[in-house]
Amino acid sequence: MTKLDLPNYKDQSPEVKARFDDLKQRDVILDVKHLGKIFDSAKGPVTALEDINFQVHRREFVTVIGPSGCGKSTLIRTLAGLESATSGEVLLEGAAVSGPGPDRGMVFQGYTLFPWLTVKKNVMFGLRNQGVSAVEAESEALEWINLVGLEKFAEVYPDQLSGGMKQRVAIARALAAKPRILLMDEPFGALDAQTRSKMQAYLLEIWRHIDITILFITHDLDEAIYLADRILVLDAHPGRVSELIEVPVSRPRAPEQLLRPEFLAARQRLDELIHPPGQGDEEVGKLNMLRFANVGEEVQPQN
Amino acid sequence: MQRCNLTSRIIVFVVLTLSLASPSQAAAETLFVGYSDWPGWVAWEVAVEKDWFAEAGVDVQFEWFDYAASMEAFAAGQLDAVTMTNGDALVTGSTGAQSVMIIIGDYSNGNDMVVAAPGIKSVSELKGKRVGVEIGFVSHLLLLDALESVGLTEADVELVNVPTNEAPQVLASRDVDAIVAWQPNSGQSLSRVPGSTAIYTSGDQPGLIYDVLAVSPRSLYANREEWSKVVDVWYRVVDYILDPATVDDALSIMSARVGLSPEEYAPLLAGTRLLRREEAKGLYQETEGFDSLHGSTSISNDFNLRYEVYRDPQDLEAYIDSSFTLGK
Amino acid sequence: MTSAPWLAPRIALSQQRERVLTLLSFLLPLLIWAAVSYTPFIWHPNMEITEPGSVNYFQEGMQIERETFQEEYNTQLEAGGELPQGFRANPVYLPAPHEVAIAFYTSFTTEPRRRSEQWLHESLWHSIQIIFWGFTLSSILGVPLGILSGTFAAVSRLHEPFIEFFRYLPAPAFGALAVAILGIYDGPKIAIIFIGTFFQQVLVISNTTRKLDIALLEAALTLGANRRQLLFKVVIPGVLPQLYKDQRILLGWAWTYLIVAELIGTSSGITWFITQQARYQNFDNVFAAIMMIGIIGLLSDLLLARLGKRLFPWERSSNKS
Repeated sequence: MTKLDLPNYKDQSPEVKARFDDLKQRDVILDVKHLGKIFDSAKGPVTALEDINFQVHRREFVTVIGPSGCGKSTLIRTLAGLESATSGEVLLEGAAVSGPGPDRGMVFQGYTLFPWLTVKKNVMFGLRNQGVSAVEAESEALEWINLVGLEKFAEVYPDQLSGGMKQRVAIARALAAKPRILLMDEPFGALDAQTRSKMQAYLLEIWRHIDITILFITHDLDEAIYLADRILVLDAHPGRVSELIEVPVSRPRAPEQLLRPEFLAARQRLDELIHPPGQGDEEVGKLNMLRFANVGEEVQPQN
Repeated sequence: MQRCNLTSRIIVFVVLTLSLASPSQAAAETLFVGYSDWPGWVAWEVAVEKDWFAEAGVDVQFEWFDYAASMEAFAAGQLDAVTMTNGDALVTGSTGAQSVMIIIGDYSNGNDMVVAAPGIKSVSELKGKRVGVEIGFVSHLLLLDALESVGLTEADVELVNVPTNEAPQVLASRDVDAIVAWQPNSGQSLSRVPGSTAIYTSGDQPGLIYDVLAVSPRSLYANREEWSKVVDVWYRVVDYILDPATVDDALSIMSARVGLSPEEYAPLLAGTRLLRREEAKGLYQETEGFDSLHGSTSISNDFNLRYEVYRDPQDLEAYIDSSFTLGK
Repeated sequence: MTSAPWLAPRIALSQQRERVLTLLSFLLPLLIWAAVSYTPFIWHPNMEITEPGSVNYFQEGMQIERETFQEEYNTQLEAGGELPQGFRANPVYLPAPHEVAIAFYTSFTTEPRRRSEQWLHESLWHSIQIIFWGFTLSSILGVPLGILSGTFAAVSRLHEPFIEFFRYLPAPAFGALAVAILGIYDGPKIAIIFIGTFFQQVLVISNTTRKLDIALLEAALTLGANRRQLLFKVVIPGVLPQLYKDQRILLGWAWTYLIVAELIGTSSGITWFITQQARYQNFDNVFAAIMMIGIIGLLSDLLLARLGKRLFPWERSSNKS
């Protein structure tokens, strides 16, 4: 793979730097301290996560990426309370969390919409659990459905929706329950490329307009950079924090930025971390470069 | 409200089911009698159909069973009386459900048969052959009697345990050389296997099997008057069936009970010797042998003990109450 | 456009073809039955005698194996006696279709001959009630228990090992006990249907419940559902369509226990009719009664399938296939 002549990914424009300064001043929503997770398997204990430390600030967008087996999913499930930690702790706005709760909303790759409920009833689900009256829950749900652009489908059952639409309902459903943080586990992983980039735009748009903090797992390097303020890069076996990258790309994001030097610099750094040279992953890297290069109109594919 | 309605109905049902479960003490009024498919027992249908119990001023409820199920229900205390053979009364009694035989209704007069495959024309030819029989039950007793009549013993034949209702098929399959069964299975065996012969029947040994009405001692003690009326009705039934003027009406009632035409039923009735009161009286002497209920039941008792149907000899005196027939 | 081949793996058939094949599925067995019944050279192992001739034990109307008939025929031929006549016949166990059809019709139109006797449709109705109550009582207990043990491992452990053992015990063997406890009428019969259904039901339904996608439960948890809400707002509605299908299958099983159930206690219902007719070799009536049970079973299942489509509209698209 040809090395491109790119700036250092740690160089930040004044605008970007100001944004990070501001971010760091904000409240810490999620504080992960020395988090460890060991699974018991037939072959003995397996360390999935080891001494994970990081903080997420209010309205920050953090993506998590790493090679397969790095424990991304275990991490987010532990944060959601669906798995219990073996060591360390997770604080949500200062309070330790144990089980799952509505303060940490979750969006799964598999949609997990309730097939027996209409779109509207799905979105009302969290509100009704919290004792919101049916009338109130309904009007709130309709607002959320509007926000994700599905007002025409409020009375439709999920199996009549496309994958992208389903995931928009899932996002609306999670947000309607008013979580402090939204945990997203490869939510767009099952979508085709076109739908996926649309969904990324949707998500950023929603995030810009409401007070929500997002932790987002992906295995797609471009997606990780395009969405994030910071990227948590994990190592595999055991899952450990390899680096916490501050994305040097300014906001608001637009598809054109995929070809900006600072984007490519971050891209190259991720590549180095996730596909270290000499591990036979070169081919994959090349294919990825080709794909994103094709998106741009001014740049010809590199051979 | 719909749902309440359903719920209450279910509750009513459960309560009803449970109330069925409580022992029938409350039935001091109604006497429950189980009967089944044997001409001598189907005869009761005449009284049921003609409402003779009401005429006699006694409240009797007859319930139709499979034979084995009727004895089971009696043993479980669900019936006040049941129709069965004198031998089976002992077997049922040995398990704790004692009974008192108050009516000798009939004896089998040819309906029980040893049916031999073509080529075998007499009991003595059974020596060394395979015989299908329901071991430990009345058919077995008939077979032993048949063998004894020609000086053979059980050791001279090979017994194969065959349920009575499968006898026709088993004989037809030629896996055995003879079967022992009663009607309708005995007749079907004959017609199913052309050339087969009834080489010995209950007609050769009248009194081998008596068919009785057996009443639970508790009910008999509590309702002596009522049972006496039932016995009177029974002899009215026997007279009605045996009277040539009314036999056709009786046949049509009885055949309807088992789902046959009167013509089909006539031969089955013929193999059953119904007993008028005067004849029955003669069977209450305490003699040895088959010509008394005592003698026949005593032979059954010995047979049951020999085949370990039960271990302890039954007190035969307690099983027989002749006073209803002999007269007050 | 050429139409698709009839045998295309996992491809849905056109409606027209579906109808043709459904019809065939009934017609083929009927054809085989008719062929065996009406074609003298297929099977027909017996001879029905029309003229006994000089064979002493032959009687008109008697059935006899063909070989024996031939032997006797030859014997008479050599002896110069009168020759027996007859035609090939099937054993009485296999009545011909038209005989069964006639029996089917007449058994419904024959008036009861005794006062205490029931019309056939009344007997059938009685059997249906036995099934209904046995199955309903079983479901009242079995469905909630199945759902609970499919949801909570502790509930499952508490009784499933025992049920796994108990379900192998033959339900009819409890007949005598049921009579002793529940009397001689419908109680013990309902109890046998209950025993025959209940244990399978708990296992089948807890298994169905366990198959519910756990991600739905996790999603509900992250939406703040408590244990009660999980059970009533996720587990139960989530398994309902499959549970309904399970119930339809279980109802079919309940029917198979009817014949043994109705032999317990007083003789009643369609079983009384079947056993009594079989005892006296009227197999046309027996077949007619078997057909009735089949028809009732099939119709009720079709009805329930229809109802299911209305009850679970969200399943509609997946039902299409």
